Amino acid sequence: MLFKPYTKNFGAGVNSTMSNLETILSRDAYILSIEIRLYWFVALVYGVCLVLYLIHLITKKTGPGRLATNMLWLGVITHAGLIMLRTFEGQRAPFQTLYESLSWFAWSASLTYLYVEKRWKDIYLPGILVAALSMGACLYALLTRSPAVEPLSPPLQSYWFEWHVVLAFLSYAVFVVSCSIEITYLTIKPSVKKGLRLEYGLNSGNLETFHRQSFRLALFGFPLLTFGIFSGAAWANDAWGRYWGWDPKETWSLITWTVFAIYLHSMSMPRWNKLPASIFNILGFICMLMTFIGVNWLARLLGIPSLHLYAM
Amino acid sequence: MAIIKNIKNINLQKVRENKLYKRFASLKTSCVFLGILVGFYILGTIFPQGASLDDYIKSGGRFTSFVIFFDLLNLFTTPGFLITAFLLFINLTICAIERFLMLRSQRKTVSDGSQFSESFSFPLDINPQLESAEESVKEIFKKELKFNEKACPHTKDFGVGACADSGITIMEKGWSYRWLTWIYHSAILLCFFGFFLTYLFSYEDEITLYPGEAAAIKPAAVSRWNKSWGSKPQELGFKLMLDEFITEYNQFPKLDYPADKLSRLAVAMGWKDPKYILKNESYFPKDWKSRLKVINLSPKSVIGEGKQTVLEKTIEVNDPLSYQGITFYQAAYKQNLKVQVDDNPILFETEVGKELIIPGIDGMLKFGAIRTGMLFKKDGSTEKIKPFTEATLIKEDSSGKREVEKLGKLEQDGGLYVADKRISLREFKEASILSYRYDPGVPVLWWSGVIVLLAMAIRIFGAWYRIIYRIEEKNGRPHLLFKVKTRGLMADEERLIKMVQLSFLNMTEPIDLDTPV
Repeated sequence: MLFKPYTKNFGAGVNSTMSNLETILSRDAYILSIEIRLYWFVALVYGVCLVLYLIHLITKKTGPGRLATNMLWLGVITHAGLIMLRTFEGQRAPFQTLYESLSWFAWSASLTYLYVEKRWKDIYLPGILVAALSMGACLYALLTRSPAVEPLSPPLQSYWFEWHVVLAFLSYAVFVVSCSIEITYLTIKPSVKKGLRLEYGLNSGNLETFHRQSFRLALFGFPLLTFGIFSGAAWANDAWGRYWGWDPKETWSLITWTVFAIYLHSMSMPRWNKLPASIFNILGFICMLMTFIGVNWLARLLGIPSLHLYAM
Repeated sequence: MAIIKNIKNINLQKVRENKLYKRFASLKTSCVFLGILVGFYILGTIFPQGASLDDYIKSGGRFTSFVIFFDLLNLFTTPGFLITAFLLFINLTICAIERFLMLRSQRKTVSDGSQFSESFSFPLDINPQLESAEESVKEIFKKELKFNEKACPHTKDFGVGACADSGITIMEKGWSYRWLTWIYHSAILLCFFGFFLTYLFSYEDEITLYPGEAAAIKPAAVSRWNKSWGSKPQELGFKLMLDEFITEYNQFPKLDYPADKLSRLAVAMGWKDPKYILKNESYFPKDWKSRLKVINLSPKSVIGEGKQTVLEKTIEVNDPLSYQGITFYQAAYKQNLKVQVDDNPILFETEVGKELIIPGIDGMLKFGAIRTGMLFKKDGSTEKIKPFTEATLIKEDSSGKREVEKLGKLEQDGGLYVADKRISLREFKEASILSYRYDPGVPVLWWSGVIVLLAMAIRIFGAWYRIIYRIEEKNGRPHLLFKVKTRGLMADEERLIKMVQLSFLNMTEPIDLDTPV
């Protein structure tokens, strides 16, 4: 049985402080066990979505694509419940540890994709990257990170905590979807121009409008990332006594911002607004992944101390 | 005077036509400089910034000659980085000036507009008189659609000129995206100014305060600016006194959860359950607070003993104290302890985390952080912690190999036996470590940052519309000919056309958007 019924009597007849504490701890452990299994379920749903999107890619039929999108809705709704459960468990916003922020990342990326996808008719290819990233993020959290609910450490007890993380992660989510559209556009454009592979829902009439979404999403994410960096600096100034310390996480967020700034500017330059701009958009996405995950690996590999250790 | 005369004699138009100036006014140049900066940033995350060369080599760092030659451990203060940042600043400044001149000239320019090419044609039905129709249309755009009439500017974006003589009217709605773009780019320049102030004038240091002690503050370092003038650090005009140092902990049970992937799958399948275990050392820092008093040393303020205190504040992480431009932050704390060996009246003093050699004990004793203060328990109750530390014994063999043995919990006035010797914790004292910083760049940076964010958000998320229209007589009926331009993510051209359609419904036939003109 995946979820064993919790049979302990909450506090009833418990007199001593120790047994009261034990009751609380068993209750917390029980809720955590539900949460972990729900998390695995969500990862599984994202995995099924990925498989269905791949079937759509191989068979060129819209059915699996449509089913994948419906499954993704199921995953996102369940995941929203999971995030609420985690918030209840920790009595705080659920993005303190990497285990939690990976969950938030997967959920926000999938939700953003579903919101954007509603505008299209039978176009499912960008879902491959989104489902793969969401599943990967969930599995990475479940297999390698500790699910323990930690209290907020002193540096994180700030009014910046929620705003900084929520808006930065929203920017990450839109950059994921922007990149998935960009990759889809770059891979399918030569075929569509020749009138081939029209089964994927893209044709010469809607291809450029579809691609325009990628730019609009990056444009949407850019002020959010800017806010993320500014709020992070303001927070660091309060907590650590300096607004910028060239910490690897800070530096990579600046790299991401700079690459997206180059991308947005290149879109207004006639010579750069085609393939070079697309490359900058994809590079920006890679930098975003480096800021979020890669920098932890880099800091460990090179032994560089980071003040953002709680997020590792 | 001669300099002013020379400046006045500079032909600005000639400067603007200069090849180098034009290169610096280009967007491509901005992208190139930004790209070079990205290269510096990446290098800065590969080589640990601020680390000493010895530490770098000890931690396995390679390419040392390369690191020394390019000063890669202080990359962001090297001339290469600073020059690139300065060139970007120049580029941004020139772009901002050029954009400003363009925006200003746009407001003044009136061109002929003979080539106006519209996208939509719209028959107006109610009034066959062209002059009356013009007034009615203008009224609808202004009152119903909330557009503002603009003076006929040079409409470069439409590829043509527009002018009142040709009967063209320009209406706009929303904040000008061009001005907003100019504002946030200019605010980024202000941010650079803030960084520059920080770079030149900021200094920082640390101070260790023991409870009840009033300490004078004399920074060990001076700002780059003062350093360049040979100034030496000076004592500040006030003292800081620590009234109390407070530590608080949350009870944090340890989670018994498998680390290996297969066992985690077993948890997922419901074959195993996670468990929370409460141990003695389950303490998670909740807060560190320092109750501080600022004591002014200025003779004028010394009216009486009690009047010297000019400010009192309890600071914690994320809530610093600011006085006379200096901000004090709760950085860390330090603990010293005294242990007694058997009944020996001489106590051994050591610092938490440092090794202590006691005669007669084979190895070195090391004590962990002393847990003291208040414990916030899982059940919502609080408990005053009886001070304790975790002791370990470190033994080192001839090859330098270390063996660490956990001795257990050592409570205040309690004891532990090590090699038949009783070790007791007799006394301990805590000190608060504050970092402090003077940084005149911060206010400039915050204000310019707020401007950047606001202008950027309005520019990108907002909606801006421009309609250029002309009323023309076709087949004996007045027609509204117009073209729409939008900017901002919220701008919706289709919705605007529908609104125009709805507003003109009473005076027109339905709009035919497909009519090619």
